[in-house]
Amino acid sequence: MSGASTMMGVSSGSLVASSGADLTVYIFRRRNRHRHRRFSPGGIYITGSSLIGAAIKAPRITSKNLISVIFCEAVAIYGVIVAIILQTKLESVPTSQIYAPESLRAGYAIFASGIIVGFANLVCGLCVGIIGSSCALSDAQNSSLFVKILVIEIFGSALGLFGVIVGIIMSAQAAWPSKIA
Amino acid sequence: MSSQFSGDETAPFFGFLGAAAALVFSCMGAAYGTAKSGVGVASMGVMRPELVMKSIVPVVMAGVLGIYGLIIAVIISTGINPKAKSYYLFDGYAHLSSGLACGLAGLSAGMAIGIVGDAGVRANAQQPKLFVGMILILIFAEALALYGLIVGIILSSRAGQSRAE
Repeated sequence: MSGASTMMGVSSGSLVASSGADLTVYIFRRRNRHRHRRFSPGGIYITGSSLIGAAIKAPRITSKNLISVIFCEAVAIYGVIVAIILQTKLESVPTSQIYAPESLRAGYAIFASGIIVGFANLVCGLCVGIIGSSCALSDAQNSSLFVKILVIEIFGSALGLFGVIVGIIMSAQAAWPSKIA
Repeated sequence: MSSQFSGDETAPFFGFLGAAAALVFSCMGAAYGTAKSGVGVASMGVMRPELVMKSIVPVVMAGVLGIYGLIIAVIISTGINPKAKSYYLFDGYAHLSSGLACGLAGLSAGMAIGIVGDAGVRANAQQPKLFVGMILILIFAEALALYGLIVGIILSSRAGQSRAE
């Protein structure tokens, strides 16, 4: 049981974080319009479609606004990093100790760590994506606005860092019982 | 093979989930607040670029919600130490409730800050006298998250007080 929750924690961490950042199948064409998107597929998709649409009339914005896409990609990389860190903490426990309290606790710690990092980076990716799309659109109109809206994006990306910090603190508590035959 | 663990075995599940709930829901609220008011700032900034830096106030207030969740999550996860102090189901439930209180209050405060920030910065661009009013409403919305933080701290301080021993 502790093994199951550990595996779920590691996989959910990277899966959920990447789905917040990557492109998906649904293509809604909403160019140049601010609209509150409720169940949006992902941060890169939101930024990318607005960026491409706005760059039709103002092609100069493309290279600068790729930084918003990079912010979104960073949250997926946080998920991969924490997944790799968590999988170094996995250990096989002898059958007699599967339900020992220490192994249950270690399993729960890794599970919660994965959930924290995954969901915090999911919402961070969506947030950075929405702000990145408005950044591209306002940069197309007035290029002095780019840096100012980027400040807002930096506040948004701090949320993913909070998740990574707490996830790593919590995964340090995963202490498996030592293998005593 | 002596184990220094004392307390109920599945209690850490609830405790760790409490820490997770605190951070995840606060981050959801903070993300909504940041995104919604950020869109308002960007739309408004096209017409009035000089007001953009002044209008970042809702974004900062939404970011503070994430910090509240971080505080509670760290308090909870350092409080789960069954080797040093026994951890019963009572403590697990206390930590779970603390995390849920802080997290869900932060989620609601973040949604309020987002909607008020979006409407407020757009209105402030047209009528500069509305700035103080927008700040007052944002402070009331931020107070909701503060209530959640206070109750969360009170609940997690009860975690060592079970009478099972």
